[in-house]
Amino acid sequence: MIGRIGPWVHGSVLLLLLTGFACNKAPQNTPTASDDGGAKISLKGTGNDSSTSNNSPAGTEDGTVAPIPPKPAKFEGPTAKSGKIKIVSSLPRTGSAKGQTDTIVNGIKLALEEVNYKVGDFTIEYEDLDDATAQAGQWDAQRETSNAQRAVQDLDVMVYIGTYNSGAAKIAMPILNRADLLMISPANTTPSLTKPNTGDKDEPARYRPTGRVNYFRVVPTDDVQGPVAAWWAKKMKVKSVYILDDGEAYGKGIADLFKSECEDERVRIKVLGQETIDVRAQEFRALMLKIKKENPDLVYFGGTTQTKAGQLAKDMKSVGLDCPFMVPDGCYEKAFIESAGADVLNGRCYVTFGGLPPSELVKQGGKSKAFVEAYERKFGKMPDEAYAVYGYECALVALEAIRRAGEKNRQAITYAAHTIRNFQGALGTWSFDANGDTTLRVMSGSVVRDGQFQFETLLSIPPKR
Amino acid sequence: MATVLLADSTWVLFVNICLNGLTTGFLYALIALGYTMVYGIVELINFAHGDLFMLGCFFAWSLVSAAAVATGSTGALLLLLAILLLTPLFCAAINWSVDRVIYRPRRSAPKLNLLVSAIGVSFIFMNIGQLWGGAQDLDFPRLVEDRNLLPADSGLQFSLIDAIVISVTVPTMIGLAIFVKLTPLGKAMRAVAQNPMAAQLMGINTNRVISATFLIGGALAGVGSVVYVLKIPTINWAMGFQNGLYAFTSAVLGGIGNIPGAVLGAILIGMVYSLGSWYDARWATTLVFLILIVILVFRPAGILGTHTREKV
Amino acid sequence: MRNAKLPISWEMLAVAAALLYPLVPAVDDFLFRLTHWRFGFVMPTIFILAILALALNVVVGYAGLLHLGIAGFFGIGAYVTGILTVPAYPFGCSFWLAVLASTLVATAFGIVLSAPLLRLRGDYFALVTLGFGLAVMYSIRNLEEITAGTKSLNPVPPPELLPPFGQLFEAVGWGTDWASEYRLFYYLTLAFLLGTILLLRNLERSSLGRAWVALREDELAATCMGLNAARLKLAAFALSAALAGMAGSLYAIKLGSTADPLAYDFNRSVTMLCCLILGGLGNRNGVLLGVALILGYDNLLAPILDDVQRALGEQSGWKKIVLYPFTLLMSTKGKLMMFGLVLILMMRYRPEGLLPSSRVREEMHEGDPAPHTLPRKE
Repeated sequence: MIGRIGPWVHGSVLLLLLTGFACNKAPQNTPTASDDGGAKISLKGTGNDSSTSNNSPAGTEDGTVAPIPPKPAKFEGPTAKSGKIKIVSSLPRTGSAKGQTDTIVNGIKLALEEVNYKVGDFTIEYEDLDDATAQAGQWDAQRETSNAQRAVQDLDVMVYIGTYNSGAAKIAMPILNRADLLMISPANTTPSLTKPNTGDKDEPARYRPTGRVNYFRVVPTDDVQGPVAAWWAKKMKVKSVYILDDGEAYGKGIADLFKSECEDERVRIKVLGQETIDVRAQEFRALMLKIKKENPDLVYFGGTTQTKAGQLAKDMKSVGLDCPFMVPDGCYEKAFIESAGADVLNGRCYVTFGGLPPSELVKQGGKSKAFVEAYERKFGKMPDEAYAVYGYECALVALEAIRRAGEKNRQAITYAAHTIRNFQGALGTWSFDANGDTTLRVMSGSVVRDGQFQFETLLSIPPKR
Repeated sequence: MATVLLADSTWVLFVNICLNGLTTGFLYALIALGYTMVYGIVELINFAHGDLFMLGCFFAWSLVSAAAVATGSTGALLLLLAILLLTPLFCAAINWSVDRVIYRPRRSAPKLNLLVSAIGVSFIFMNIGQLWGGAQDLDFPRLVEDRNLLPADSGLQFSLIDAIVISVTVPTMIGLAIFVKLTPLGKAMRAVAQNPMAAQLMGINTNRVISATFLIGGALAGVGSVVYVLKIPTINWAMGFQNGLYAFTSAVLGGIGNIPGAVLGAILIGMVYSLGSWYDARWATTLVFLILIVILVFRPAGILGTHTREKV
Repeated sequence: MRNAKLPISWEMLAVAAALLYPLVPAVDDFLFRLTHWRFGFVMPTIFILAILALALNVVVGYAGLLHLGIAGFFGIGAYVTGILTVPAYPFGCSFWLAVLASTLVATAFGIVLSAPLLRLRGDYFALVTLGFGLAVMYSIRNLEEITAGTKSLNPVPPPELLPPFGQLFEAVGWGTDWASEYRLFYYLTLAFLLGTILLLRNLERSSLGRAWVALREDELAATCMGLNAARLKLAAFALSAALAGMAGSLYAIKLGSTADPLAYDFNRSVTMLCCLILGGLGNRNGVLLGVALILGYDNLLAPILDDVQRALGEQSGWKKIVLYPFTLLMSTKGKLMMFGLVLILMMRYRPEGLLPSSRVREEMHEGDPAPHTLPRKE
């Protein structure tokens, strides 16, 4: 063994080695060079973005279409004109979000099958990765990291569809960004992933160490959904609200946005209180008793099925708090109704959701209708869960980007995604803005009746006068 | 006087929260008794006890689901009585088998050795729960209508279910106390708890007594799981760990090994948790852990325990 | 030394293999083709957790106290590093300073906590540490203003290479990008692990190490011989906290984020305990073997089997019937059961672990017919 020379000598040699090996890191260094670039790109797009979200009626398109960025002189990295291209998805496939991700994956597969796993001279392969662990029952940072690294390392991978949770996206985004790998999310709704001035001051630049945008999403963000929920509440003649959240990026974020819109002078809903729940608690009766005393017209919960939305609804009922309960799209899934029990939710649970439910998609006709019908044909049921259509749309975008690029090169395919404008997909006609966000702002409100989500109304924010 | 106080809605809220804490405390008490009895007899912190309770909940859930499929109704009182009978049997059988297979062969081993085994059993139970019910919350069908028994204009909340919880729990505890005090087996238990060697010399079959303790502790967890799902109709695989820790803290607070102490401790913890949630919902659980730490460090004998305490 | 007669020992082979693995890319490539997982990226995490296991071993193996809250110190280390390095805070500390500060803060927590802990008996000690670990986890989660709650602090920047190393890596074609080149973290964490091993090796042979063993074997006798039990336990607890804090710091840096507070849950503590019990309490090599088996399973085998299992789930026929139950148990779905079985079976049949220290093994086979490693404490 090593000990012959004398342990202390060895120890000190090793320590010296350590000190020399990794040292003095100024943390700002890596990102700075690229930060500016990232910020510039983003700012261009959001000039109208963050401000118009209040001006333009949600439910229609933005109207303006961001200019297509100039094509770089040369795409770096290996390239090929034919062969195998892999699309991977990284979603929580075990745990409580499984119901949702099953339909997302179904949507992806449906889109790929429609083109027979072929784009031009490329054959498409699809890999379905899991970023959750059974114990956590939800996404896991370590797993998301390995998935992203695995995708980067596999040179056949050209598109990364994911993630489901915005927290997971924060981990995967910088890893994929360094590899210029196209990332399309069907479900991340936290605004600060792409939009400046919606989170910390170095967001979203911190997710783009190269300064280039490689992350796109087809789902409208919470800076639309939160405020829209407040307007919906106003329409229902709600005068006071008690806000709860689960303390997570998505739930807390949307609850905060909801709250600030309630306090807006145009809405003027009295916020009686905001509280973060302990998502590991088994019951919330004491909390609900407290809220009951405040006698709100509405309880809003920023959270998901996985963070106890069902139990909250039950405890509301059991303490005799009869006011309506409003939740965001994280609860737009069967599992939510199952966990709360239909009789608890019927007629009093309001759900906001980005996009349209299947029943409305059919009425839209065109690709939307075709999608619902094809899905029903193939899987024997309607795409009930909220995100099925987004999974499908992600795959359509991926295929379109590959087709436009015409080569198996990560930078080329990512650039091709930037050029997507007035895209006719299952969600309607929409474009990507310079941040990689969809211009789609359609929001719908549903109510639980007879144990089902039933479409109630299109939601929008009236324009400022 | 009471009417004056109740006129102030904060007082109504306070009373409501205490009532809520009281019923929650009774739920913890049933689990805490299992901890305290086993500890009193074999000085083992039966880490798996909370998860046994969780399995009891899943068992009751499966029974009700099966009955719903068979008869098409879930509201029957008969069904409630059936699960109130079968679930304790199920839990008792599991607890007895675990003792027989895992703890008994290692009876002479150091206590910490057994504690590690118990953690292992707890993990296996949790995994069974995961495979049984999946990762998400399951809704337990309502067997009893949740009707408020107090007049609505008082603003107070005390529902039919709360009444059932107390009317099942209190007789069970009184029965247990009488059993331990008066029956021959109960006396044997107390003897083994005081001095196993001496008890054995007196002709008591200690292994049989220990098995009986595990049986009774398991049955109590089973009763606990039935009243729990009535009161809090949501089950998931992680519920055992959380509730087990609350119950264990209750047992420690009351003086582990002490039966009245466990009940008192459970009611206190229920109150603390309920009042803590009132103050700030996020910190209630942490508060319970802090109580656990403080009690263990500064008064390991608990509130009712004394240095020459009688165990069980 | 066990294999004194052989010129080469298993330890040397293992170290050599660990050092050489990244130098032969064919191996990693082969494993990648086989499993679609880059082992090189997972290994640093395992090295870091090996440090954590060794930290736990100081308290459990050397001093004989059942510690169920090691994840708390791990979390403290990770979050101190997070606070000191992420751009959201003004500190912007260097890598080295962050690791040092994390270690010190964790040590301070260890010392403060150990003051009331040391007079507790064995099972109460276990539960207080358990309570502490959970309280830390919940506090991290709830103190959003400081820790960002479940959003986690990110990005934690990677270390920067000193000139000779940077140029060296450029020269051999590895580059200096920590995100895409796994060898950098691989060697960094391996160096920390080897440093920890050497430190503990020397400690074991020092008077402090011998005193711990004496304390573990018989506290009364040890105190009678003039050893200060409280001070010894405090030293063990503090050292363990320090190493765990260091491991936590490395973990945050490797992950580039402080991860979800759930990463510092009770599960983490018990997983580490599993490593110790499977491998052999009190024995460094045993612990490392336990880490290789348990964490190798947890981080490499189980995810691979998850893939296999999901693929099987879509198939039908004999393959599914035969392999499905097996992969179900072995995949992450059966992980808790595997850990539970390890704990129970080891306690039942081989409480000294697969690779017990020579001292423990001798104790097992002489005199006392009831084998034990964890001491009797009343």
